[in-house]
Amino acid sequence: MKRIPTPLIALVATVLAAFGVSFFSDRIDPYYLDVMIGVGINVILAVSLNLVNGYTGQFSLGHAGFMSVGAYLSAAVTLLAGPRLLGEDGGTALQQGLLFLAALVMGGAGAALAGLAVGIPSLRLKGDYLALVTLGFGEIIRVIFQNVESLGGALGLNGIPNYTNVFWVYAFAALTVFTVVCLVRSTYGRGFLATQDDEIAAEAVGIDTTRYKIVAFVVGAFFAGVAGGLYGHFKLTITPTGFDFTKSIEIVVMVILGGMGNTPGVILAAILLTVLPEMLRAVEQYRMVLYSLLLIVLMLVRPKGLFNFNFTAIAARLRWRYLAARK
Amino acid sequence: MAAPILQLEKATIRFGGLTAVNALDLVVNEGDLVGLIGPNGAGKTTVFNLVTCVYETTSGTVRSNGASLTGLRPNEVVEAGIARTFQNIRLFRSLTVFDNVRVACNLHRTSAPVQALVRMSAFRNDEAAIARRVEELLELFHLGRYRDAPATSLPYGEQRRLEIVRCLATQPKLLLLDEPAAGMNPTEKGELMALIKRIHREFVPSILLVEHSMRVVMGVCQRVAVLDYGVKIAEGTPEEIRNDPTVIEAYLGEPHGSSWAHH
Amino acid sequence: MTEFLQQLLNGLSLGAIYALIALGYTMVYGVLRFINFAHSDVFMVGAFIGYFAGEHLPHDSIPGGLVALAAAMAGCAVLGIVIERLVYRPLRGGPTLNVLITAIGMSLFLEYTGQLVFGATPRAFPSLIPAKVIAVHGLVISINQLLVIAVASVLMVALELAVYRTKIGTAMRAVALNPKAAQLVGINIDVVISFTFGLGSALAGAGGILYALNYPSIDPLMGVVPGLKAFVAAVLGGVGNIPGAALGALILGMTETFIDGSRFSTYKDAIAFAVLIGILLFRPAGLLGRYSTEKV
Repeated sequence: MKRIPTPLIALVATVLAAFGVSFFSDRIDPYYLDVMIGVGINVILAVSLNLVNGYTGQFSLGHAGFMSVGAYLSAAVTLLAGPRLLGEDGGTALQQGLLFLAALVMGGAGAALAGLAVGIPSLRLKGDYLALVTLGFGEIIRVIFQNVESLGGALGLNGIPNYTNVFWVYAFAALTVFTVVCLVRSTYGRGFLATQDDEIAAEAVGIDTTRYKIVAFVVGAFFAGVAGGLYGHFKLTITPTGFDFTKSIEIVVMVILGGMGNTPGVILAAILLTVLPEMLRAVEQYRMVLYSLLLIVLMLVRPKGLFNFNFTAIAARLRWRYLAARK
Repeated sequence: MAAPILQLEKATIRFGGLTAVNALDLVVNEGDLVGLIGPNGAGKTTVFNLVTCVYETTSGTVRSNGASLTGLRPNEVVEAGIARTFQNIRLFRSLTVFDNVRVACNLHRTSAPVQALVRMSAFRNDEAAIARRVEELLELFHLGRYRDAPATSLPYGEQRRLEIVRCLATQPKLLLLDEPAAGMNPTEKGELMALIKRIHREFVPSILLVEHSMRVVMGVCQRVAVLDYGVKIAEGTPEEIRNDPTVIEAYLGEPHGSSWAHH
Repeated sequence: MTEFLQQLLNGLSLGAIYALIALGYTMVYGVLRFINFAHSDVFMVGAFIGYFAGEHLPHDSIPGGLVALAAAMAGCAVLGIVIERLVYRPLRGGPTLNVLITAIGMSLFLEYTGQLVFGATPRAFPSLIPAKVIAVHGLVISINQLLVIAVASVLMVALELAVYRTKIGTAMRAVALNPKAAQLVGINIDVVISFTFGLGSALAGAGGILYALNYPSIDPLMGVVPGLKAFVAAVLGGVGNIPGAALGALILGMTETFIDGSRFSTYKDAIAFAVLIGILLFRPAGLLGRYSTEKV
C-alpha cells in the first residue's frame, strides 16, 4: 500500500473537520460564525500574500486588487449564470455548492490572470518601486471597476447569494496553507527563498528568478481572488472602494506582524488582527491609527514580526530540557 | 577537434566612456585549467560577468561548445554547463548550508513543481535522491557537520568551499572561480590549491580561475592569461608569464626581479 | 485659442504645486534612497496650519497670505525633521524594506490621526489672498494662480541657490552621490539629512497652502492623491534629480489639466498611475536621470 503523504492527510482532515463544523453551524452563535468566517478569509489573504512578500521578497501593496477581481468575477458568475443554471427554485444544495465552487475557481483564475498582468511588468523593479507599482495596479483595478457600469460602477454589486459558510472558507484556507507550505518546502520551493535572498546568486545556480516571481504573483493572486469570492458571498455587497489601498495595507500588516516568510506566524497574525478589532469594536475609529502605529513600532522594535519564532530551535531546546530532566 | 568549452573572440564591453574589456581573445578547451590574472581593475571579474551573461558584450562573441551565449539569461548559462563563484562570496544567508546546495540541485530536478503538492512516490524519490546528492557533496568536502547551520555562520574558508560545492551541484562542465584565495592565509591557500586540483580531476573537466595570489595560480594552472586595462597582454605557461617583462611591468610599473611571484 | 491658453495657465499653476511637493520626494530619495511616503501628509499638515493661521490673520490680504505661507513652511520643516529623527534615523543602515514600511505607517498615522483630530469632513480654507481675477483678452487669470506660479518659481530658484551655492547644499549633493565618501571628508550626515528633510517638508508645506488657496476644500486625506501625482512627477523627471522633478511636475500638471478638460476626465487619477508604470517599465531613469546598475 503506497504511503499517503502527511500534508495531504492534514489537508483532507481539515476539510472534513470544516465540513463537520459547518454541519452543526446552526448550533453556533451566528456572531461567532461570522468572526470565524472573517478569520478564515483573512488567513487565505495573508498566507497568499506571504508567498509573494514573505517568501519571494516581492513587496506587493496591491493584493486587495486581486481580491476585488475574484469578488467581482465570482459574483458575476453566481448572479448571471446562477438563475439560468439553477432554475426558479434555486436548485439543490449540491447544485448551489457546485456553482459556488465553479464561481470561486473562476474568480481565482481571473485574479491569477490579473496577477500575471501585474507580475510581468514588475519583474525588473525592486523594493520601493515595486511596492509603488503594485499599489498603482491595485488602484487602476479599482478605478476600472468604478467605471464599469455593468458591474455596478461606483455603487458596486449587491444581492449576491449567501453561499459562503464555514466549510467553504476553511476548506480553502486549508488548501491555501497546504499549497504554499508544500511548494515552499520542496527543493523547487527553495528557489523562492533564493530569489528573495540574492537574485544574482540565484541566477548563478540556475534559478529562473523571473519565473519564480511570476509563479508567486499568480498563485498568490489566485488565492486572493478566491478569498474575494468568499468575501463577496459573505457580505452580499461589494464596492470598488472596499478593496482599496487600505485593505491591501491591512493584509500587509498581518504578514509583517506574523513575520515575513513565516506561515504559522502569519496565520496567528491573521487570527489576531481579525479577532482584535471585533473585541475592540468600541474603539473602531482608532483602528487605522493603531494599525499605523503598530507598523511603525514593529519596524523599530521587532522587524522580524511578533510571531517569528524559530520553531525548530524551540523544539530542539524543549527536547533537550526533557532529556536532561529525565536523567 | 571538438569546439572549445569556452571561446571569447574579440569580446569587448564598454561602460559609458570606459572600455572594461577590450577585444579579448580567450580559449578554454575541455580539460584545461586556465588562470586569468592582472592588476586590480584589469577587468577580470568583468570577463566572468560577460561569460555568465550578467553583462552583454558591446561587440565580439562569447561561445561555448560552438554555440553563442549572447542574449542568454544568467540562469540559462548555468543550464549550458557554466557555473561561477563570486569575488565577495554570495551564499544564501537565509538558508542553511544544506539548502544552499539543495537549491542548486533544481537544475537537474526530475519532478515538476506541481508534484510538490501531491507528493506521490515519484516526487518523494526525487527529493530523496537530491538529499542524498547534497549529503554526498557536503561529506566529500568536509562540510557535513555544518549541514543544518545557517550558511553565514561558517568560518570564512568553509564559506568559500561551500560556494564552490554549491556550484558543483549544478553539474557544470566549466567552472569559473573568482578569486577563491582572497582573504586566505598560506595554509588555507595550500588547501585551496589541493581542492582545485581535486575538483579538476574528479568533478569538473574545465576550470577558469581568476586569482591575485601568484602562488595559487602558478601551483595549479596549466596556462595563464594576463589582463591589463581590459587588454590581454600575455598568455603562456606559468613559467613564461612569471618571467615576462611586460607582465612584471604591468604589476609593478617597472622591470623587477622574479621575487614578486611568491605571495 | 484662448481655451488652450487658459488650460495652459491652469496646467502651469497645477504643475507648480506638484513641483513643490515633488522636489521634497526627489531630494529625500537622492540622499537616502527611499520614498518618503509620509511626505504627502506633510503637505496636508501645511494646509491645515494655513487654515488655523487664517483664523488669526486678516483675510483677503497678500501680506496675510504670505505670513500663513511662512508659518506653514516653518511648521512643516519642523515636522519633517522630527519625523526623520524619531522614526527614520533609527532604521538607517537596515534593510530598506523596513524603512519603506515605516514610512507607510507614518503616512497612515498622520492621515488617520488627522481624521480623528480634525474630523473627516472637509473644511473650507479661508480666502487668505484677494480672490480677484484679471481678464486679459478673454483669459481669466486669478490672483491665486499668479501667486502660485510666482511663489513656486521664487522657491525653486531659492532651492537651486541653496543646493548649488551654499556649503550645506553642496554637502547634500555629496551625500547623495556617495554617503561614505561624504562622511570621510568630514560631512555630518545627520545634519545634512535633517536639512534635506526640513527643506523638502518646507516646500511641501508651501505646496499645501498654495493648493488650498486654489482648491479651498481641505481634509486629512487631501495629500494622498496630489502626493502620489507629485511622486510620479519626480520619477518622470528622474528621481534624485532636482530640475527633473520640476520638469516632470510641469508635464504632469499640463497633462492632467488637458485630460480633465477632455472626455476621459473620470480616469484622470488613474492616468498618473499609468504614467508611473509606463516610466518604470520603459525608462526607469526618467527624463533627466541616470539609472545605476548594481555592481556584481
